[in-house]
Amino acid sequence: MKKQAYFLAALLGLSIQIATAQVKKGSVLIKNATVITATKGTLENSDLLVQDGIIKQIGKNLNAPSGVQTIDATGKYLMPGIIDAHSHVGLDVVNEATSPITSEVRMKDMVNPFEIGIYRALAGGVTVSHAMHGSANVIGGQNATLKHRWGSTDPQDIIMQDAPRTIKFALGENPTRVHGRGAGIQPRSRMGVEAVIRNGFNEALQYKKAWADYKAKASTKGNTTVAPEYDERLQTLADILDGKIIIHCHSYRADEIYMLINVAKDFNITKLVFQHTNEGFKVAPEIAKYTMGASVFADWWAYKMEVYYSTAFNAAILTANGAITSINSDDAELIRHLYHEAGKTQRYGGLTDDQAIALITINPAKQLGIDDKVGSLEVGKQADMVIFDNHPLSVYAVPMMTFIDGVKYFDIKENADDQRLKISATEMVEPIFLSGESHRCMQDTEFLFGTTESLFNQKH
Amino acid sequence: MKKTLLKAGVIGLLVSGWVSSNLVLGQSDPSGKKRITDTYAITNATVFTAPGKAGTKATVLIQSGIILGVGTNLNLPKDARVIVGDSLFIYPGFIDGASDAGITKPKDLERPEGFVSSNPSDEIAGITPLRSAKDQFSISGDKVDDLRKTGFTLIQSVPEGGMLAGKTSIIVLGSPSSTNLLKENAALAANFRGSRGMYPGTPAGVMAKFRDVYENAELTQQRGQQYASVAGVKRPEITPTYSSMSDVINGQTPVLFTAPTELEIRRAINLQKELGFNLILTGLEDYESVIDVIKASNAKVLIKLETPSDKSIKAQKEEVTEATKAQYERVKDAYSKAIAQAGKLEKAGIPFAFTTVGTKPADLMKSLKVMIENGLTEQGAMAALTTNPANILGISRFAGTIEKGKMANLVLTTDSLFKEDSQIKHVVVDGFVYDYELATKKKPETNGEKKDSLKVEGNWDYKTESPHGNSGGVLAIAKEGDIYSGTITYDDPSGSGKTSAPIRDVAVDGNKLTFFFDVTASGMTIAVEISGEISGTSMDGTMSVAQFGSFPFEATLSPTLITNN
Repeated sequence: MKKQAYFLAALLGLSIQIATAQVKKGSVLIKNATVITATKGTLENSDLLVQDGIIKQIGKNLNAPSGVQTIDATGKYLMPGIIDAHSHVGLDVVNEATSPITSEVRMKDMVNPFEIGIYRALAGGVTVSHAMHGSANVIGGQNATLKHRWGSTDPQDIIMQDAPRTIKFALGENPTRVHGRGAGIQPRSRMGVEAVIRNGFNEALQYKKAWADYKAKASTKGNTTVAPEYDERLQTLADILDGKIIIHCHSYRADEIYMLINVAKDFNITKLVFQHTNEGFKVAPEIAKYTMGASVFADWWAYKMEVYYSTAFNAAILTANGAITSINSDDAELIRHLYHEAGKTQRYGGLTDDQAIALITINPAKQLGIDDKVGSLEVGKQADMVIFDNHPLSVYAVPMMTFIDGVKYFDIKENADDQRLKISATEMVEPIFLSGESHRCMQDTEFLFGTTESLFNQKH
Repeated sequence: MKKTLLKAGVIGLLVSGWVSSNLVLGQSDPSGKKRITDTYAITNATVFTAPGKAGTKATVLIQSGIILGVGTNLNLPKDARVIVGDSLFIYPGFIDGASDAGITKPKDLERPEGFVSSNPSDEIAGITPLRSAKDQFSISGDKVDDLRKTGFTLIQSVPEGGMLAGKTSIIVLGSPSSTNLLKENAALAANFRGSRGMYPGTPAGVMAKFRDVYENAELTQQRGQQYASVAGVKRPEITPTYSSMSDVINGQTPVLFTAPTELEIRRAINLQKELGFNLILTGLEDYESVIDVIKASNAKVLIKLETPSDKSIKAQKEEVTEATKAQYERVKDAYSKAIAQAGKLEKAGIPFAFTTVGTKPADLMKSLKVMIENGLTEQGAMAALTTNPANILGISRFAGTIEKGKMANLVLTTDSLFKEDSQIKHVVVDGFVYDYELATKKKPETNGEKKDSLKVEGNWDYKTESPHGNSGGVLAIAKEGDIYSGTITYDDPSGSGKTSAPIRDVAVDGNKLTFFFDVTASGMTIAVEISGEISGTSMDGTMSVAQFGSFPFEATLSPTLITNN
């Protein structure tokens, strides 16, 4: 990529793909499964044919074209690959926590295809995850949407290149603690958080105008206007205003959720998804009307002050109000059984099978802007899918095989135990511990608080 | 002959008032350090003029730091000091593609009043392309001496600092009375290191900031051109950062990116592709699976002249479960791949050189031999020490081979270079000859000696390596009766600087030392266990922390600070 062309493209807000290698695409026929399509009901004893990574046919008595492998799924369940709209798996860096706005930072720069968490997610039927920047900043970095093509060594190969750009925002206690209390700057309160966002967008409007003015005059003779300063931070905010980037905002309280809805309305932003959203049930009609919905935990709260008021009925209430709702993990362990998390909404809120399945398939796909490509089993879509031994919403369900683009990346029977892709030449082989830290939402901010991990994390 | 001498004498007399030859000064130098002559002849040695060339018997004549001739029929000037080379092997002086020898890290700048960590000045944030290695370099450093003793004569000196640390300098490791500077602004040293506690604080921030600095350097240049040609244009703001980036964006100066691992290598190459600068990758440690990516990028390559320690393989036990055995095999496999990488790089046709940044000079040749035993050819190794770095640094006109007219940089060994017992006897740098004592064979230590000399008490300087980086400190152990006690210093987890903790449960069994200490952070206490084996004044072992695993631990007993009871 020539630098000039790149620069222009960046100014125009186009996303650039750097040397995308060809990813593997597979062909396979799955026979006699209970096909849970997520959008078009459940089909008993049906077959699904994939050719070159795309679902070609769904029906009965399909025949495999020559050379296409057939998998007998009699008595088993086939569902779309699970999509996690909030994860930090597969990232070397999660938080560039040093400034209230770091929209110029890209998680795509930090993708690590060797992280074992990716394989574990795959073993839990998760084919796509939203690898997000952390929640230390009001406006954090740009996220990466990953396809869990385990075994790839090039980070570009696990980045879903045809997914739209998304960015992390965060309200409430995290940014006010890191920047207000930690660094003594704005925002120190929820009001400050709103001010940071509004100021950021207003500066972005000025930035956009400055460049437009310059470009209009640049080619005229004797032009005396000079090129403005380049600022990818403001350029990214301008791209949000231009509808090129979907906001995914870490939020808990109803008042701040409604605050951001108002900010978005003021700036004509429509691409907005709330993350965590524990008080979403209080503002469910507003979320349904103005945003791309909420991505929530099934039943996780009370881990800090602003998350005390919550309910396991949250997802069901949001769904009943017509908000696009998904259930996410934000965690390397939870990501392994999101189908259980979705199942909890049947106990707490009585969602139907289709509604519960949608929480971890087509709904998160909509929130990531990829529902035309993945998220359901439909002809023409990318063949990301999971075979379960039991109904995926059953507590007895175990994922048997996971496919991405028709290629099998996980097989519970055939895969070797040790799936690590990279081993250090100097690794001391130690007894295995079954516990470990996994909550990474605030990773790379430890130096601000002096947590234990920072003892061995001196480089930040 | 007589006539010439006479003439020379007359001219010498005429000009001696204001021009002096070394000969004259040599006799009147009050310090006695001045050389008698700068002309040397190394006679009848086995000379290897360039990688791949067979050794031939020849004499090498040097004067004023230049090779005057290589051959069998040279006329030796009368003032030539003769070094009888019959039993010696001569190689071109080694070139260190990137070096930290002699570099003193500049002091961290004080944070100004009202410092805002989200928007620090470039200088505080480690964006200092204006800095130069030559200002941080001192030829009198121990590592310089050790490096020269290993055969290195020329280095690319890399400044210490943050993400854009400064410009490198090409320096010859010659006389202390010279600046020894061959080239300033040879490259811009860059790395993915964030600034602690300020923006950019992580590799993600560093990459974003790198793009920002680069694009704005281009725009600043553009504004400058507009200012120069059109009246009525606003004065462009020229900052030290942007003005010292102009040679980089114009392609005159490459970026020397430290990228040890394959993901970092890819990140540096991605930035190169986006922005278009010339790239030299340095400090490569783990690159086996990206050799084709490196080749396609046309980046130049400096690999770290170090092979991984086989400590973990030696620590593998016999009686373990099948699962553990399988894990052992994977580590062994990773190890054998790691030591075979250099050979694969050579086979791929990438003319790489070495960097010694972060290495111990005493181990360099050992590491090189491991690389040679595992696939690197001797010719490839020689090229990586001489002609390849000369090409990469753009100095092959005067360095890299033994040829008439080139710089007199030579390595004189007692045997063919890569033979087990071969030793370096002299190193010639810029025409200055350095003589080295040949080591006699080490006596093997007996168990009895070890026991007698086991010294636990004292001040140990330790280093640990963890996946998050290296750290270190001082371990002070005192003995009272049969009881050991002491303190250990370590990087303060809640900020910068060091803090210390008492050590407890110190046990010495044979030459094995174990102890614990507690680290308190955020109201939590974690116990750290250290166990190591002491041999003489060095300790080798591991530091283990529950949940975090074990990390290598190395310590040396500080000779001056031994506490006596």
